[in-house]
Amino acid sequence: MMEASLIVRPVIVLLCTLLLLSACGHVEEMRSARQEQATEFNQRAQRAFQRGEYQTAAALYQNALQLDVAIENVNGIAVNTLNLARVSQVMGQPALAQSYLDSLLKDQALHYAPAHLAAAAVQSSLLSLQQDDEAGAGKWVEQAAAYCASDCTLGGVIDNARASIALHANDADTALHWSERGASENRNASPLEYANSLRLAASAKLLKNDADAALHLAEEALAVDKSMGLPEKIRQDLLLAAQAHEKLGHAEQAAQCRDRAGRIAAASVK
Amino acid sequence: MKLSTYNQRLLTIEKRTRRFMLGAVGVMLLVLLMIAIQQDYFHRSTTIYFFTPNAQGLSKGMAVKFVGFKVGSVQDVSMQPNATVRVKVALDDEYVHLIGQDAKARLIKEALVGESVVEIIPGSQQVKQVTHNSVLAFERGQDASTVVENLAAQLQPILGDIHQITSSINNPNGDVQQTLKNLNQATGAFRETVHQFTQLGASSNQKLDGAYGKFDKALDRVNSSLETLDKSIPKLVEKADSTLGNVQSATSDIKKMTSESATEVPALVRNANALVQDGQDTLGGVRKSWLLNGLFPQPEEQALPVDGYVPPKTLP
Repeated sequence: MMEASLIVRPVIVLLCTLLLLSACGHVEEMRSARQEQATEFNQRAQRAFQRGEYQTAAALYQNALQLDVAIENVNGIAVNTLNLARVSQVMGQPALAQSYLDSLLKDQALHYAPAHLAAAAVQSSLLSLQQDDEAGAGKWVEQAAAYCASDCTLGGVIDNARASIALHANDADTALHWSERGASENRNASPLEYANSLRLAASAKLLKNDADAALHLAEEALAVDKSMGLPEKIRQDLLLAAQAHEKLGHAEQAAQCRDRAGRIAAASVK
Repeated sequence: MKLSTYNQRLLTIEKRTRRFMLGAVGVMLLVLLMIAIQQDYFHRSTTIYFFTPNAQGLSKGMAVKFVGFKVGSVQDVSMQPNATVRVKVALDDEYVHLIGQDAKARLIKEALVGESVVEIIPGSQQVKQVTHNSVLAFERGQDASTVVENLAAQLQPILGDIHQITSSINNPNGDVQQTLKNLNQATGAFRETVHQFTQLGASSNQKLDGAYGKFDKALDRVNSSLETLDKSIPKLVEKADSTLGNVQSATSDIKKMTSESATEVPALVRNANALVQDGQDTLGGVRKSWLLNGLFPQPEEQALPVDGYVPPKTLP
């Protein structure tokens, strides 16, 4: 007993010393002042975007991008270029958004992470679809899926993009397939994309004349979008619900939903 | 295990415990000694007093300074039966010989922002130095708010004067308005007279006397107007003089105040900057320390979420 304790004690002391040394030996990743400044611009831009101040957000992302380019921070360049494309898209400048995305997708000099390229490709696909270029949208979404191999969190977004393309082509079955797959992937990952999946599924159900199911999906999407406070999404949910009510013969409720959607549009808050 | 070995181990443990206890007692004594030094228990001091009508701005522990050096502290602030406030001050013995019985205690603020201190204003060198239980005279120094109050008090009569002058100018029955009216009438009459005089000169010399009469009257009125003007101008000049005097004294006060604070404000700003920088450095250091760095992850550049939804054509 005595001998055992004599052995255990030095072992414990040795372990504690090693633990202490390993803790002290931990080296914090050093970041330059410019990189910290770029991060600060990026964070301020994020907050501006969340408040709907898109012009300010764009200017701040530009500042962050400029600094990242100057110190050749490849991740920062990709992140801020994607963000600028997104802001331009929200501000109704699809051509500018596409030019930002092209600068990433067609860059021969720098090698970006596949996750960033997947994000750029899926955004390109959605932009093409907005301009009724279904072929272009299909090409980019396949490209996005190819980039999104491992460690990629964009699977649900790509599913939703595919469902959107199918809906554009009035292919209700395919749209329903991708939107349901997207919903199951996004349920615990991203409320924004989950609501998107629900909305797409509702539209597919409407195409299939299943207004009752469409109404339920639209109402669920509405609850999610309200919890996130996204006016445009809430408006779209209400319009979908109005369509479902109309198909169900509830003219009064349909009118109410349209009236509510109209009020949100009149508020002009994006 | 043998009994002798066991006893030996017990003895060793006892010896170690004793050493530990002695060490602990030693450390405790050292700490007590340091506290005593910090609290000035080994410092010889002389107690003096001063009295004030109220204790505003005075507190126990407040620094007492003499020509910019800390020479003691306020030990106690207590109210007396006659509702005055007695302030007990402990002065370091090494400075007592510099402070005469006729020295004054003054409550001042060293900077625009910050704590007040009691400043000892030296008396004459010939007078005997303060002794134990001496009583000093007390006065309150002017702080920023008092200076501003004084300034406001000085500006008030100036504004009053300006108001009086403008109302006097605007008053239709006032001197200035009446003078202007008289002048107006006089020039009207003069113009008429000249006109008549021309007519008279052309037609007849008979009416010349009447014209001269009117001309005389007009000149009289001009004279009376000028007299009134003569009377009112000195009054106006006097008022303007007093106004200018007030403005001058206010300006000198402002100049004094700004020159007094000119040296303090930049230092204050520099100190605040240094303080903020120190705070940032400390926080940075704490964040980087291995015990806490897990709690403060380094911020990263964030990407906005991709919105994978394009409304179908059927939705407006």
